Amino acid sequence: MSDNTKTTTAVADDFPQQRDGDTAPLLKVSGLAKHFPIKGGFPIKRTVGHVKAVDGVDFEVYPGESLGLVGESGCGKSTTGRLLTRLYEPTQGTIEYRGKDITRANRRELAPIRSEIQMIFQDPYASLNPRQTVGTIISGPMEINGINPPGGREKRVRELLEIVGLNPEHYNRFPHEFSGGQRQRIGVARAVALQPKLIVADEPVSALDVSIQAQVVNLLQEVQREMGIAFVFIAHDLAVVRHFSQRVAVMYLGKIVEIADRDSLYNRPRHPYTHALLSAVPEADLDADKKERIRLEGDVPSPISPPSGCRFRTRCWKAQDKCATEEPPLVQLSGSREGHLTACHFPEAGSTEARAEDIVMDPGLKAMEDDADGGAAVSKG
Amino acid sequence: MLLEVRDLHVEFHTRDGVAKAVNGVNYGVDAGETLAVLGESGSGKSVTAQTIMGILDVPPGRITAGEILFEGRDLLKLKEDERRKVRGAEMAMIFQDALSSLNPVLTVGDQLGEMFTVHRGMSRKDARAKAVELMDRVRIPAARERVKQYPHQFSGGMRQRIMIAMAMALEPKLIIADEPTTALDVTVQAQVMDLLAELQRELHMGLILITHDLGVVADVADKIAVMYAGRIVETAPVHDIYKAPAHPYTRGLLESIPRLDQKGQELYAIKGLPPNLTRIPPGCAFHPRCPMAQDVCRTDVPPLYDVTESDAERGSACHFWRECLHG
Repeated sequence: MSDNTKTTTAVADDFPQQRDGDTAPLLKVSGLAKHFPIKGGFPIKRTVGHVKAVDGVDFEVYPGESLGLVGESGCGKSTTGRLLTRLYEPTQGTIEYRGKDITRANRRELAPIRSEIQMIFQDPYASLNPRQTVGTIISGPMEINGINPPGGREKRVRELLEIVGLNPEHYNRFPHEFSGGQRQRIGVARAVALQPKLIVADEPVSALDVSIQAQVVNLLQEVQREMGIAFVFIAHDLAVVRHFSQRVAVMYLGKIVEIADRDSLYNRPRHPYTHALLSAVPEADLDADKKERIRLEGDVPSPISPPSGCRFRTRCWKAQDKCATEEPPLVQLSGSREGHLTACHFPEAGSTEARAEDIVMDPGLKAMEDDADGGAAVSKG
Repeated sequence: MLLEVRDLHVEFHTRDGVAKAVNGVNYGVDAGETLAVLGESGSGKSVTAQTIMGILDVPPGRITAGEILFEGRDLLKLKEDERRKVRGAEMAMIFQDALSSLNPVLTVGDQLGEMFTVHRGMSRKDARAKAVELMDRVRIPAARERVKQYPHQFSGGMRQRIMIAMAMALEPKLIIADEPTTALDVTVQAQVMDLLAELQRELHMGLILITHDLGVVADVADKIAVMYAGRIVETAPVHDIYKAPAHPYTRGLLESIPRLDQKGQELYAIKGLPPNLTRIPPGCAFHPRCPMAQDVCRTDVPPLYDVTESDAERGSACHFWRECLHG
């Protein structure tokens, strides 16, 4: 790691602090929701319910910063990503891009914005057309937007291939000739081809092997710094998110339960779910003293009928009556740093030391056993 | 030794030529011991496991050399019907993808019970009772009701518990778990790993845990074997390997994972790609990607050197293991 890298790092890390009141957010999302209808019945299909995949999320993304979205499967992080790029139509809420409401914008209104918001997908095998050459794939965005870079599209594509660490001579090759990591590089080249302002990256490295993962994370970081692109980085791997994002939002069952600067979130999590999530990460480090571990009970409840009040209460060791009746708002709690918002009635103490005491080890499993013994019909799981 | 794999070679005949998936693997596991086999895709870790279980597809696969000693008997010399008696009763396997490993048109009770009707000749009714007992044991709530349900009615974590129950059913001496938690969320992953480790302790089984995740391994394994291009490149007790890896590949892997206590800096990345198994580089297979490679690495295949420093045995297949260990 050169000195040069370290300086740029410092700049990128300080970014949230540098952000003053006068910096306008690039993207502003408020009350965003997506409910997928469930069709049932015979002979006429009717809507019998809704999967509330995303159920009211608010956040902002500032120019050049990276916002991480983390959570378990089914928490709505990928749906949020697809809403931002308007691949899904939102049910409720608004998306503002550079001060302009694009929630209901039609095709023509969206056209100029499309080139500024790009997406990188998880599966490098499914997201590239197997019948197109790499050249066609990467020049696709330029062609659609009628952009003719100086020297021609082919020259630009070759440049892009070089930027993402592929051989420009491979211009005429097909996706199947590349490995998973190389394909993801092609996906990155396509996403940056139009020099977008925002990239939504949906689990961009989770399909890759460990040694390749590091290569792609480094590439994304380089791209972010050099081109000043803002990222919404969606992932389930907390370590990768911490590495890549200056700000992190934790989602659970379609809601953001906690959002903060990365240091604040990882060192002083206030929401029990964030805490549990962090403590469940297996770490390849034995020198670190055996940290206490919280074992959450069971699985994430169904998003069709999420629990009342706080959605995490069914798995929470701190839950009380209030949690079932009143939904906690996402606010800055006393003792939290500026910009650290938490949605919890009974938050964890703001420092690491104080927390160790009030953790009940594994109350979930005990409750489950009691349930099972009593023969209670907890068949939904 | 409960199980000992000796100089195993497996290859596959493909259109592009002969892919040498396993090239002389040696490892062993004792009763009550956990061996973690670590490697990236294509390192041969799963093929080795399939060969031990006797579920390798032959052809296209071919076992060209080696022995697999299970309690002193060479499994590769057994006839298929003898092998069947070992499989399931003496050793069992847990797969990554529980949904595709379970039969979607049979209830989980039927599938669990089958272990007892087929191997133990129990009646269906007794087998059903056993199935409920097993589901209780892997802490599936309301087992009595859920035994009648189908796999799709269970969540991913619960399905993996059923897989574990099935593997444990006949109390085998050895369990091979191939990426048992890779498809699960991190909170559920922790639950399943705990359960597996607990049952292993209780039944005093040998466990071979195949994974690509260095983090999962750290908590449960006693010793680790790191594989690359079909060979074991390093083997050591867990503590030693994390503290001081003796092979540049292991070191690269450890350095390339972003850790919770780091951020922002550029990650260390092992350059290049894993080799094509039909054209494994001569000498040390890792040399094209290795920062320490010298001329000797391009010509001489490094043996697994004994690098034991304290009491526990360690091995490293690197000509420059000293430099790696102390450098």
